[in-house]
Formats: sequence, structure tokens, C-alpha cells
Amino acid sequence: MTLLPILPMLLAFDAEGDRRLVERLQRRDPQALAELYERYGRMVYSLILRVVRDAGVAEDLVQETFLRVWNRAQGLDADKGSVGAWLLAVARNRAIDYQRSTTGRARNTLEMEATDHPALYTDMEKDLLQSDKARRVKAAMEKLSANQRQVIELAYFEGLSQTEMADRMGQPLGTVKTWVRAALKNLRHELGAAVPA
Amino acid sequence: MNCEQLREHYELYAIGLAEEPERGEIREHLERGCEVCMAELQRARELAAIIEGSAPLAEPSAKLRQRILASAGVEPRRLGWWAPFWAVAAICAIFAAGFFNSRQKELGNQLLRARDQVREQTIELTRLNEAFAILSGPDTTEAAFGGSQPQPPKGKVFVNPSQGVLLMASNLPPARSGKIYEMWIIPKAGMPVPAGLFQSAAEGTALYVRRGPVDVNATGAVAVTLENEGGAPQPTSQPIIVAAIPSRGPSAQ
Repeated sequence: MTLLPILPMLLAFDAEGDRRLVERLQRRDPQALAELYERYGRMVYSLILRVVRDAGVAEDLVQETFLRVWNRAQGLDADKGSVGAWLLAVARNRAIDYQRSTTGRARNTLEMEATDHPALYTDMEKDLLQSDKARRVKAAMEKLSANQRQVIELAYFEGLSQTEMADRMGQPLGTVKTWVRAALKNLRHELGAAVPA
Repeated sequence: MNCEQLREHYELYAIGLAEEPERGEIREHLERGCEVCMAELQRARELAAIIEGSAPLAEPSAKLRQRILASAGVEPRRLGWWAPFWAVAAICAIFAAGFFNSRQKELGNQLLRARDQVREQTIELTRLNEAFAILSGPDTTEAAFGGSQPQPPKGKVFVNPSQGVLLMASNLPPARSGKIYEMWIIPKAGMPVPAGLFQSAAEGTALYVRRGPVDVNATGAVAVTLENEGGAPQPTSQPIIVAAIPSRGPSAQ
């Protein structure tokens, strides 16, 4: 798979434009929702489709995602321009939630509710996505071993726990945990910060 | 667990891999607004953003945009039977602009003004629909304010656990230049939570809706302060309006 095709679009985030967009969403400007979709609709759809792999279901979930953000925009900090990051996190969680419900797996409620804290999604565009850091991490993603990349994708796009990954891959749980830690460590190293051992 | 003990679990949490008991502990820290955990998780979220970026780009159907806007009530789902008449009217307007070249600019301006009016009316209609949803909710709690003051703003606050908060006020003069009114939801325990910015009308009335779920039982009051334009993360002035939310009792969930 070609890595990070969405990344160039993420890099093109306009933080100042996002700030104004959040303010208008908070004022319930209908045009702001249309602009939010123009700016992020394709990315949100791509992310959700990657998880659910069904175009019809993906469009339903995109609709739910945008409505959720429209209804909860008051919780965003307009000065931080965080709407894109939050939107993608809500999209991913909604898609994983759907996948889990169709496969009879328990809903990962605690992690889902992390998106109830929009303040967690601050400064992403400014500090990460519009900087050289993202390009370094892109390189790091490409450098991950096949196993490391697989566990990250199984976790993020399929919502598997480490135990579920071990079952799926036919590997000991300890091995999977090692791959996960190593992958995170490599990625974090490229972000220029130390990873706890 | 303290924040230091949780340190190595933030990134696992951010991509959904944290396990118990650490996952529950992090959630607990977030729920109580732990600044250390919030900052650590913001940092950890950076990794998730990079992983998000690895999804292959795909194109949704052209109808999805309209579907989303219609479901949010910000654009009509369909134009209806009268759509052809509007189309004819639009075509006539275009021809008229061509024939009457001298009036072209004026017609263009009129169209722009009409579009602005429609947009404003759509916003207002959306707001009124939201207000009505809160007012008509069977589980809405109401609280009056300003009744005992000599020169109040007076009015009522309506809080609905699923729809949000509606504030209706009179005797509230428009905030002066560079200032704006900011509404706060004040929990019984904890810091005030910003609930949006609004301006009152020239005649001193305000109708403001903050949509989204509200934990009514955990809410002590709804307040309004005057803040610098752009608002503030925490109140910087004495409240102009304070409406104490009555307790709904243990059975009112």
C-alpha cells in the first residue's frame, strides 16, 4: 500500500481558515457546515471507508460524523483550529464502533468517549501537520517493519485489541506488544520526543 | 495511579490499545480535567493523526454533501414542485440582466442581497427550531433570573439533557464594541465550561441556543459574562446573568 496518501491534504490544512471556520460553526452559520464538508469531507470519507470497506455504510457514517461535529462545535477552541483533527478522530471512532457492532465485538466505550474532549485535538495542524515533523514521520511509517505496520493498522483501522491482534496473527501476545511498542517508539522518535520505555 | 505512572500508556490510549486498569485511570483523569493527562494525550494524538493519514484517498458520491446539509437542517432536502418556476425566474433574471445592461449591476446586487437575506433567515429558522426543540422537551428544566434586581437583564434559561441550553433575556443591551456576551455552564463541582458567544439585539433582547447534551443533574447554574470579542476560556468578569438550575432529584435521569 502506498503510505500516507491523505497526508498531503493534511499538510495543506489552513489553521487560520480553520479558526474562522470553528467560530462560524459555533455561530451556527449554515454555510460553515458546507465549507467544513468541502474541506474535510473527502478525508473523512476515505478514513471511514478504510475501516468499514463499504461505500454505502461509509457515507452513512460520514453523515453521522459531520452532524456530531455540527452539534458539538461549541466544545471546540476556535483559537486552536482543531476541528480537522477532532473530525477525523470522531470519524475513526464512529467507524470502529460500527465495525465492532457488526462483528459482535464489545464496543470500546472508554476510547470512544475520548472524542468527547475536543480540547485533546488542539494544535495538530499548526504544530504537527504543517511542519517538517509530518514528513519525517511519513518516512518513519515507511520504515516500519511489516509486522510493526500491521499491528498499527489493525489497531487503528480495525479497532483490534492487542489480544485480538495476537489471535488474528497467530502470534504470542508478548510479541504483538513488542511490535506495538517498537512501532510507537519509531514514530515518536521521528516526532523528536522521547518515548517512555 | 498518578500521571507519571500513566505516562507510558497515553499513546496506547490514543490509538485504542490501552488496557485496564490504565485505560480507566486515564479516562478518570480526563473526566476531572487533569491538565497533565490532557497535555500528554494531545501529544499522543499526534501519532494517531499520522496513522489517520495512511488511509487511501477515496471519493464519496456527489449527493453526500447535500444529504449532510439537509439532515442538519441547513439546506432544503429538495426544491419541491415549485423548483421549475424558480429556475424559470432565474433564467428570466439572467436574460433581463443581459437586455438591460445598465441595470445589470443593480440586479446583481439585488440577487446578492436576496441571497444574504435567505442565508440569514435560514440561520434564524435553524435557531428557532433549536429553541423550540428545547422548549418542547418533556425533560427540560427551566430557571428564571433577574427577577429581584432593579435594573436586570431578566429572563429564563431552559436546559434539556439531550438538546442543550436555551437562554431568553430582555433588558440586555448590546455589548459595546470589542465586547461580547459569553454563556457558561457552571457544574456543581468544577470550573465553568464555555457555552458560546452571543450578542443581544438592539432592543435589548437575546435568544441564544447552545446545542449539545448537558448533564442537568451535574449543572449548578448557567451564567453570562461580558468578555472581550473572541471570548475567554474562563470568566474574566462578574456574571451579568446567573440562573441557578434546580436539582431534578435522583429519579430524574
